[in-house]
Amino acid sequence: MTTGDVAIRVKDVSHQFGEPGDAFHVTALQKTSLDIQRGELLCLIGPSGCGKSTLLNMIGGLLAPTSGTVEVGSKPVRGPLPRDIAFVFQENALFPWCSVIENVKLGMMFQGAPKAEQEDRARKALEAVGLKDFMAHYPAQLSGGMRQRAALARALSLETEILLMDEPFGALDEQTRMILGEDLSVLLSSTDKTIVFVTHSLGEAVFLADRVAVFSARPGSIKEIISIDEPHPRKPGFVTTEKFSQLRNTLYGLLHEEIRKAVAQTVMAGPLT
Amino acid sequence: MNGALTFRDLRVFMLRRAWLARLLVIAALFLLWEAAARWWVDPIFLSPPSRVLTSLNEVFETGGVPGALRITFWELAVAFSISVVIGLVVGLAVGLSRFSHRSFMPIILLLYGTPQITILPLFILYFGIGPASKVAFGVSHGIFPIIVTTVAGVQNIKPILMTAARSMGASRWQLFRWVIFPHMIPSFFSGMRLGMTGVLLGVLLAELYVSTAGIGYFTTMFTQNFDPTKLLGLISILAAMAIALNEIVRRAEVYFGRWRTD
Repeated sequence: MTTGDVAIRVKDVSHQFGEPGDAFHVTALQKTSLDIQRGELLCLIGPSGCGKSTLLNMIGGLLAPTSGTVEVGSKPVRGPLPRDIAFVFQENALFPWCSVIENVKLGMMFQGAPKAEQEDRARKALEAVGLKDFMAHYPAQLSGGMRQRAALARALSLETEILLMDEPFGALDEQTRMILGEDLSVLLSSTDKTIVFVTHSLGEAVFLADRVAVFSARPGSIKEIISIDEPHPRKPGFVTTEKFSQLRNTLYGLLHEEIRKAVAQTVMAGPLT
Repeated sequence: MNGALTFRDLRVFMLRRAWLARLLVIAALFLLWEAAARWWVDPIFLSPPSRVLTSLNEVFETGGVPGALRITFWELAVAFSISVVIGLVVGLAVGLSRFSHRSFMPIILLLYGTPQITILPLFILYFGIGPASKVAFGVSHGIFPIIVTTVAGVQNIKPILMTAARSMGASRWQLFRWVIFPHMIPSFFSGMRLGMTGVLLGVLLAELYVSTAGIGYFTTMFTQNFDPTKLLGLISILAAMAIALNEIVRRAEVYFGRWRTD
């Protein structure tokens, strides 16, 4: 990772849902600035409703900031950038009427990848995530973990420099999540992608990230950024080290009061999402 | 070979063969009909299925019946095509825009809920007593189920699929062709089946009401001449036609919706 080489620049970005005066008017994100280095894996962690996903969607061009700018490769983001940015979502975002390999190829078709390469790239991506024997299956025939692997393969096949992952393992059980996390760490260490990863899991953040950005309660902004100085790919044994626990505890300390604040807000205002 | 056949064996044998039970019920109904027509009911009202079947050729030989079948079939085909094309276009237009859904969907549901039979005389008045009024009335019955199911098919699409496609750079046309269209195909086919039933109903009702040709004309005639053999023969032909058309659409529906049942 060459320092100073910025892949994504977020500058004074705010986002509000609804118009001021509306009953549902909410400031999700407040004047947030963040530089994401080329090749790093940055985790966004924070209480529910603090705007982590909102920020991710703004980086990906799916949502326009109310104020401030997002730049990718020093160009302002004005809409989706399929050649530079690929997404993995929390929900199952595979097309149920397409087989696994068709799903991957469809993504490349949307992106405009050369037709001759699609089959080959799809197979490689699916092999990389361990779905070689399930290419002809439909999403409904796969487990939740396998579906997320397929979604990851679809994102990888797009060969973008940036990968945005919005709680990709959020809906999975703890064990599946652990294995996927380990596999992801191995997989990503062999690429030089810039990755922004939203998560709720402290352990996941410490295990995967180069840096972890901790968000404050709504209106969200970045409270602190912590560096995780451990070479990739992370070994499964990293989880049991003293260093891991300390980092995890630090994150817990930072996060805990924000979560309390967020809960207090929801109790007063009612659930917002 | 085990010689002894127990009740249990029979039960298992039947449970594995649902079609056999179906066949038995149909056969029983036909036997009942046959018996009723032969011994209990006045032959000017009912004719046994054996005679209906053996005199099918007489129906075809009756002057004008082949032509009437052709006309009715043609009316059905035209009315159905118009219903599908307009229904699909209107359904997409209403389903894909929140504004038009809010504005126009209540009107469509209102029209769908109105029994069109009440305005059949107006159709005859506007479109004449020829095929045009039959086609128009058929469309008025077939189009609404297609619109409503198309709207429903477009509406319940998961937003995340649209977002995912957009994030990968899908154009508007690609969104329609690869996301919206495959998603709505199963409900579109159910709509087409309902539409087909509707078209059949509309066309035949209009023919029965007033006409100089078509199957409706002959069913009226056979009824008034107390000729149940020919009447039932004609109805059988119609039923066979309806079943065949319905089956074609149903097969297509199963084929295009196979990802759902997995």
